Amino acid sequence: MGAVFIGTLLLSLPIVFSLGAAAITGLIVGGYPLQQLGSTLVGASQSWVLLAIPSFVFAGSIMERCGMSNALVELARAMVGWLRGGLGMSVIVVSYFFSDICGSKMAEVSALGSALVPPLKRAGYRAEDAASLIAAGTAMGMLVPPAIFMIVISAVTNQSAVTLFLAGFIPAAVIGFCLCVLVLVQAHIMGWPKDSRLSLRRLLHASREAAVPMVIPLVILGGFYMGAFTATEAGAIVALYSLLAAKLYYRNVSWRDVGNIAYESGVTTASVVFLLAVATVFQYLLGVSGVPVLLGNILAPLEVYHWTFLLGVALMTMLFGMVLEGLPAAVVLIPVVFPIATKIGIHPIHFDIVQTAAVGIGLFLPPMGVGLLMALKFAGVGVFQHMKYYWPYLIALMVGLMLIITIPELSLMLPRSAGLIK
Amino acid sequence: MRPFAHTAPRFILGGLVLFAIGVMLCGVFLRYVMLPITDWMDVDPINFFWVEEVGELTLTWLTMLGAAIGVAERSHFTLNIVVHHLPPRLQHAVHVFNHLLIASFGGLVAWICYKLALLNASLTSPALELSLGLFYVSATVGGILMVFYALDAARQPGAPEHSFGDVRE
Repeated sequence: MGAVFIGTLLLSLPIVFSLGAAAITGLIVGGYPLQQLGSTLVGASQSWVLLAIPSFVFAGSIMERCGMSNALVELARAMVGWLRGGLGMSVIVVSYFFSDICGSKMAEVSALGSALVPPLKRAGYRAEDAASLIAAGTAMGMLVPPAIFMIVISAVTNQSAVTLFLAGFIPAAVIGFCLCVLVLVQAHIMGWPKDSRLSLRRLLHASREAAVPMVIPLVILGGFYMGAFTATEAGAIVALYSLLAAKLYYRNVSWRDVGNIAYESGVTTASVVFLLAVATVFQYLLGVSGVPVLLGNILAPLEVYHWTFLLGVALMTMLFGMVLEGLPAAVVLIPVVFPIATKIGIHPIHFDIVQTAAVGIGLFLPPMGVGLLMALKFAGVGVFQHMKYYWPYLIALMVGLMLIITIPELSLMLPRSAGLIK
Repeated sequence: MRPFAHTAPRFILGGLVLFAIGVMLCGVFLRYVMLPITDWMDVDPINFFWVEEVGELTLTWLTMLGAAIGVAERSHFTLNIVVHHLPPRLQHAVHVFNHLLIASFGGLVAWICYKLALLNASLTSPALELSLGLFYVSATVGGILMVFYALDAARQPGAPEHSFGDVRE
């Protein structure tokens, strides 16, 4: 089964079909009925929680098409642009805001890369640093709701998506803070300029311009904190809001665009949910063939402390995430490791947040992280040329990850105060 | 025939996304607006339990149709670290082999789910009493489309969109 998976993967068969081919092989070799494939495929895609995905993808694409990323960039520059290295820092701040609205990492890299790389270069930042800032900021944004990955990991580990969404806000801010400190230090060493002077008028103007997109994170945070609605309902509300904003406020999105965006959202949703469904068959076979027990034995030395286990699994997820992209890595690896984590007493939400952060970093890990490759495209830099300037950003991301690993309260504080967990 | 077979499922897919969002909004409206009103007026509440069933059925169809369209669009996640180093003729052979594998997978899924649809046709969902066979029919239709798109793609040259080789020194 493993040989079929790896062999077809290396032949560039799409990962979902590599998993499918391996699963069929496993079913036949193991003497299991092939009906298992059909019933699991349909059963796994029949999910109320996953129904949040098309809404959030649709809403994010509509808002991005409206050009609201420019308003968010302006707001971030008005907030932190007056500090030394302020433009670089505003990349981190805008990544946080933007992730709140757009669930797709690739759309985020594309929007931020096109909006911020040119002004960064004009302000004297090296192209390598521009790419690093976009990559590191977007990696951090993985933890900011409504990331599609969070919906998937909540389904895979059977946790509440709302709880996970709420849990992500503070860890994302912690990693963002680590990155901002790095930018401040780099700015003094490299002589990066201040972007603008501190101006209350500019801040107020930028806040007014960004008010329309900023309603979305407020709805998500407030609605979830008060327990007003589920993740799926929030998705529908956000989708309606973004459509109304596009048609009534920005007025630059036609009905044809809406149709195209709906279609693209459908394709994205299908590739995620279908992958999850096929992986469910694969996971079942891994389970009956004793792989979790084997992995448990391998990871046993790390189980002494929670942090060593979490760090070990996070590093594994990162490497898987770099090679297989985030989602495939998660649906194959995380269900196998999750029971071990809960068995040794790690809080499921803490585990999910750490793995989400790890997958975020993995997507932007050189030399193969697809998010990083995309950011490099916008900056026009080669992957190996970029690597020697990227390591400080990776260290900052890892410091943030270590803080999240060693201080579980960072992840659990918000859902606990909302009464969602004990 | 070919343009229709390509465009019709796309329209349906976009429509399914908008329909799913509409159904969820309907659920939100019935739950948060109509329920308090009917409570206040002391009349029978409007039933909104159907929302979950219709939403899930829509997602299943959306997934199966979209997965097939994803073959034509090449939107499925792909790892490309070896094949682009091969000679062009070998690359083409791998491309054809991969799409034949995808077509076989689609055909097998269509066949298995057709049999499961027949088996579950008489069973119904709790709220709307929809035939559970409808869920499996989505995978049958998706599987048949997957065969069609994979065979069509096998006849054309192509490489995955995202690849390690995209960015080089």
